[in-house]
Amino acid sequence: MALDNQKINQLLQSFRANPYRIFVVVTPHTGYLREFLVKEGDEVKGPAGKWLEKPGSPLFVLERERNPKTIRAKASGQVAKINWELQGRFVEAFTPVLEIKHTLTQKEIIAELLRKILHIVTAPEKARYFLSPELAQKIEKAGEGRVVVKPGDELAIMSFMKRETPIVHEGPPMVVFRVFFARGQMVDQGEPLFGLCLEEERPYVEKLIARVKEEWPT
Amino acid sequence: MKERVLVANRGEIALRIMEACERLGLDYVAVYTPGDEQSLHVRLPRAKGKPCYRISSYRDANDILAVADEAKCTAIHPGYGFFSEDFRFARRVVKRNNPLIFIGPRWEVIRDLGHKLNVKKLAYDLNIPVIPGTINPVYNELEAEAKAEELFLWQEERGLEPPRILIKAAAGGGGMGIEEVDELDMVRPVFRRIRAYAKRLFGDDGVVIEVCIRDYHHLEVQLLGNQFGELVHFGTRNCTIQSIGRQKRIEIAPGFDPNYTTYPFEAERVLKDIISHSLKLAAHVGYDSVGTWEWLVTRDGRAYLMEVNTRIQVENEISARISRIKGREPNLIEEQIRVAFGERLGYRQEDITFEGTSIEFRLIAEDTKKGFKPLSGVIKRFHFPNYEWLRVRTHVPQDEPYRIPTEFDPNLALGIVWGRDTFEAERRGFKFLEETVIEGQTAKGEPLRTNIDYLKEKLPEILKFL
Repeated sequence: MALDNQKINQLLQSFRANPYRIFVVVTPHTGYLREFLVKEGDEVKGPAGKWLEKPGSPLFVLERERNPKTIRAKASGQVAKINWELQGRFVEAFTPVLEIKHTLTQKEIIAELLRKILHIVTAPEKARYFLSPELAQKIEKAGEGRVVVKPGDELAIMSFMKRETPIVHEGPPMVVFRVFFARGQMVDQGEPLFGLCLEEERPYVEKLIARVKEEWPT
Repeated sequence: MKERVLVANRGEIALRIMEACERLGLDYVAVYTPGDEQSLHVRLPRAKGKPCYRISSYRDANDILAVADEAKCTAIHPGYGFFSEDFRFARRVVKRNNPLIFIGPRWEVIRDLGHKLNVKKLAYDLNIPVIPGTINPVYNELEAEAKAEELFLWQEERGLEPPRILIKAAAGGGGMGIEEVDELDMVRPVFRRIRAYAKRLFGDDGVVIEVCIRDYHHLEVQLLGNQFGELVHFGTRNCTIQSIGRQKRIEIAPGFDPNYTTYPFEAERVLKDIISHSLKLAAHVGYDSVGTWEWLVTRDGRAYLMEVNTRIQVENEISARISRIKGREPNLIEEQIRVAFGERLGYRQEDITFEGTSIEFRLIAEDTKKGFKPLSGVIKRFHFPNYEWLRVRTHVPQDEPYRIPTEFDPNLALGIVWGRDTFEAERRGFKFLEETVIEGQTAKGEPLRTNIDYLKEKLPEILKFL
């Protein structure tokens, strides 16, 4: 394992001390920022439901080509630092509009911990990544943390500069404990794609997850 | 009202469009995505005080049109790639509530010539030779296999050994979505793969099956037309030197040069034929912009029309370099803009003469020894010489490190040389390649490779049937 118990304790302590992340909400595209639907201090909710089918709270209206579009929160938390001067103005794509101070959930803390303790396969290039169809099928059947990959097995397909390059597992057989990207997601170079562990390490990881679940309210 | 052009593209073509606008006295507006902030197509207009808008994607029509309205543009130049051959985009541009000029052919022309199979059908009807194969898109495996069998037999009967076919995405282009097959057993799996690829990339899973012509040269005819029915050509180009993915690396104008090498056929006659066939099809559809008719010419001198590119091409400048309109070198992007704004050409075919040979080298960050694998990384040193016979078109700055964005092809620059004849152009080409330096590092910290050595190796092969 990449970390010992002491370091894990330190990590959990740091989450307890500062269980927040700041999400900067940017305009997804160009358009006129017609109206803010929140004010500083408002509590907003991110998408919810099993398939995230319930949309997040409305934040502002962006109008482009005479189509007004409500931009919604992608994370729950408290609204902070609204860029009020953008109201009524034409904005470029990716312009910062406001911030959401988000309290980390149990699931997010587990994900952060897993990034620290698992053997991480990182993105070799900034590219779009797709889970290999065979691996996707196996994970769907058995679930995350139950599929073992052997050296030479295809993990993902990297779509980069109009070419598709397979990402192949190297090293000893390992369990695919966590997939950190969604289908077709653009992942920056060096960001984690997969979290793997040896078969014998799995009980330790599961124990750790159980500990977080116990200590951290849902 | 002063015309203002939205340059809806990136890299070197965006810069060339801006230059053409300046020469015509037109105002322009640039767009860019976050990965392109360092590109000269953003830095240079900014330095001149021109508006530059950050958009979500060069493929986001809503963003491009929203910027066009906000910046009070009157026209959109799509460059090449992206929306340049998208008839739906062209139609939207001219039919929306706030219509703009689309700098390209009429949308109906793009629709009719943008699809390889439509071109094949039109050409077939006009007695223009096309590559034997399917006329309609194939969606069915059994049908694909039956057609493949027929084409294998056709080749065997003509002694073309070993027979081979190409399975291509009907909506593809630029060498994407094409595979060669030499066994009937392979037809179904390759067909399935290409179909899935075509669906993913082009949204249309139609597939074309045709004879794979191997021993050939890839020729192009550069045309220009306008709404008044005026139609001229700017000669031919030879684009045979391509990567294994059929992407062009060296282009030469004119298409053949009997003073440079010998041909097993009458080269001048073939060039004349393909120009005349191209003009015939262009006149038939009322072609009204710049466009390229692509041909395959085999060792026995047979020419087959492959497709029509209804846009300005990367390599248009070599045609301009060898052309003279009443003694002056044209700029084809300027001509394209002029005709889009409804101007008459102001000259006829007889006014166009040709002088010398021009060669274009595409400088690309790629590993030519590993299947032309595209490379990303940071360019730390980029130097090219300065000669009156050389033009370098690039968006890569020379005064600061440049990170190659991974969302696009790693094209770095175009080197365009001119010589009084092909021998001189070739010598100058070597000189340019020898004196050009591109240094950098890949994401893994390894030295960044480029294709310069490959271009040097291939330069002696230009225009020749080897």
